[in-house]
Amino acid sequence: MRNAILETLTEPLREFYENVIDFLPDLLASLLIFILGVFIAVALKKIFARLFKVIKVDKFSEKFGVTDIFQKGGIKGSVSSLFAKVIAWITVFAFLIVSLQRLNVPTIEGILEKSLLYLPNIFIAILILFIGYFLSNFVGRTALIASVNAGLKMSSGIGKFAKLTVFSLAATMALEQLGIGKETVLIAFAILYGGIVLAFAIAFGIGGKDAAKNYIDKRIKGEEEKDDIQHL
Amino acid sequence: MDRKFLNVSTSTLSENIKEKLSEIKKADILVGIPSYNNAKTIGHVVRAVQAGLAKYFPDKKAVLINSDGGSADETVDVVQKAAIEDFHSIFILHQKQFLKITTPYHGIPGKGSAFRTIFEIANTFNVKACAVVDADLRSITPEWIDLLLRPVMDMDYDYVSPYYLRHKYDGTITNSIIYPLTRALYGKRIRQPIGGDFAFSGKLAEFYLTKDVWNTDVARYGIDVWMTTTAIADNFKVCQSFLGAKIHDPKDPGADLSAMLYQVVGATFDLMDTYYDVWKNINSSELVTTFGFQYAVGLEPIAVNVDRMIDKFILGTKELTSLWEVFMSENLRNFLCDGLSKTPRESFNISDDIWAELIYTFAIAFHKRLINREHLLKSLTPLYLGRIASFVNESLNSSAAEVEEKIENLCCSFENKKKMLIDNWD
Repeated sequence: MRNAILETLTEPLREFYENVIDFLPDLLASLLIFILGVFIAVALKKIFARLFKVIKVDKFSEKFGVTDIFQKGGIKGSVSSLFAKVIAWITVFAFLIVSLQRLNVPTIEGILEKSLLYLPNIFIAILILFIGYFLSNFVGRTALIASVNAGLKMSSGIGKFAKLTVFSLAATMALEQLGIGKETVLIAFAILYGGIVLAFAIAFGIGGKDAAKNYIDKRIKGEEEKDDIQHL
Repeated sequence: MDRKFLNVSTSTLSENIKEKLSEIKKADILVGIPSYNNAKTIGHVVRAVQAGLAKYFPDKKAVLINSDGGSADETVDVVQKAAIEDFHSIFILHQKQFLKITTPYHGIPGKGSAFRTIFEIANTFNVKACAVVDADLRSITPEWIDLLLRPVMDMDYDYVSPYYLRHKYDGTITNSIIYPLTRALYGKRIRQPIGGDFAFSGKLAEFYLTKDVWNTDVARYGIDVWMTTTAIADNFKVCQSFLGAKIHDPKDPGADLSAMLYQVVGATFDLMDTYYDVWKNINSSELVTTFGFQYAVGLEPIAVNVDRMIDKFILGTKELTSLWEVFMSENLRNFLCDGLSKTPRESFNISDDIWAELIYTFAIAFHKRLINREHLLKSLTPLYLGRIASFVNESLNSSAAEVEEKIENLCCSFENKKKMLIDNWD
């Protein structure tokens, strides 16, 4: 009787002990893989930081405005060191995944699988945002310069509106890629910009009737006072 | 014949035209007229060319090529029908061989693409001399043909640039940017580097064709400055001919100023990259041989709206400062944005030195690609208008000779400030 009770009590402990003993090699192997990954990441960071300096990534980034964008986004330090850090973190992340898989725990494997399947969406969304940011700056600046050269007093507003429109479109696409409020975001975007355009149309039609008439008279009927200067 | 066509690796000529050319085989002189919707003026230009060839080169085989950009008006018909009906009334005899060909050009729409077709045909015919004249000219006379072609035909010049009398407010891009800049850079005082009416040798036409520039702004308005600069920088024998007054229709009503400025100044800045080794060692300029009998002429007054130019300048300095921050010194920005924008309009002035410094600043930013090149050059438009307003203020009561003196002073500023350009180039 006493033995039976003792066995009932020790059996789970024994099983736990056996499980721990079975699990320990996996845990150790997993830890080793992770530590190795950290070392490799540190080494890669140093190698790439040097390589980026040699191929003058910082100079090119300054030239093409990438440094400026990062600084405006609150990211300090050189672009080459930032890229090297990103490579190091990707390496750490990759080794972390491999080490977690090495543990052979079904729950962790399930979570990993789902996360891994979602990862490409995150990357694509970031890429869309990145391209959107560049494009919105470019379009905004183009609109600003064109408006200034056309002599429009509200040039700054036009430039900002063009920039915001392109970036909003990119943000909408990024959110759609992430599957966040797919229809809601699209509908909100459509309503927002449809509304703005309609508001402008009504405002221009009612409030700016005379201005519109003047503009059309000048542009279409050629009533604008022109210079005779021949620039070429 | 075929062998000659093959010399041009990427021929833009249609099979139809090639066939026509192979029938003609050879010519001594070729005159090209690029056109686009010039029905109103091209008839006069064709007749002047025909009369000029008959009067001054009667024993030469001459071909007139109209390279058209797809005119929607009667341009092509007018060219075909235009002819001197009575040679006796202008005291000249018929030319022995005069042929007229109209051909559409291919490639990027623009004057440069039209010229490329003309170069190819000149090369095919192995001509001794070639001239190009604008289709919008109202003041061309038969004498222009002699003045342009004679230095090539008889004196072995390779490139003849025009020298005209123009109203003081005509050709403002030439006077304020292109002439002072090319003169300071390449050391030759060619007064109208983007005049539009040139003559060149067959050898130079062949040389132009070897250059791979036909997908750049050279294919548009950049062609004139490219031809002149290439001729000077590659050591061809250059001169200029005095043609009298230049009166012409507006270039292209559809083309806005910033696009013109972008193409012309962009092509000039591009050439600065190409010919850095040539211009970096030049520190003064010299006169070039000028042919023709020079005289003064009265030109019709031109309406100028200075207030609107200053308004655009002020708007530009207000809105584009953040863009200029990337490449322009603080002093220059402060002068433009704080100093000048608040000056009373009647004393609005951008001095020669400041203007030369501004243009060099833009050239350096263009070379170093500090910002997108199209944005950079188009942001120059309000500053250019400011400079023109300043020039008009300054020269309101000046005679043509006084204006020429002012332009000379501007050129000196460009030459004096060239060191700043060289020091900051790399």
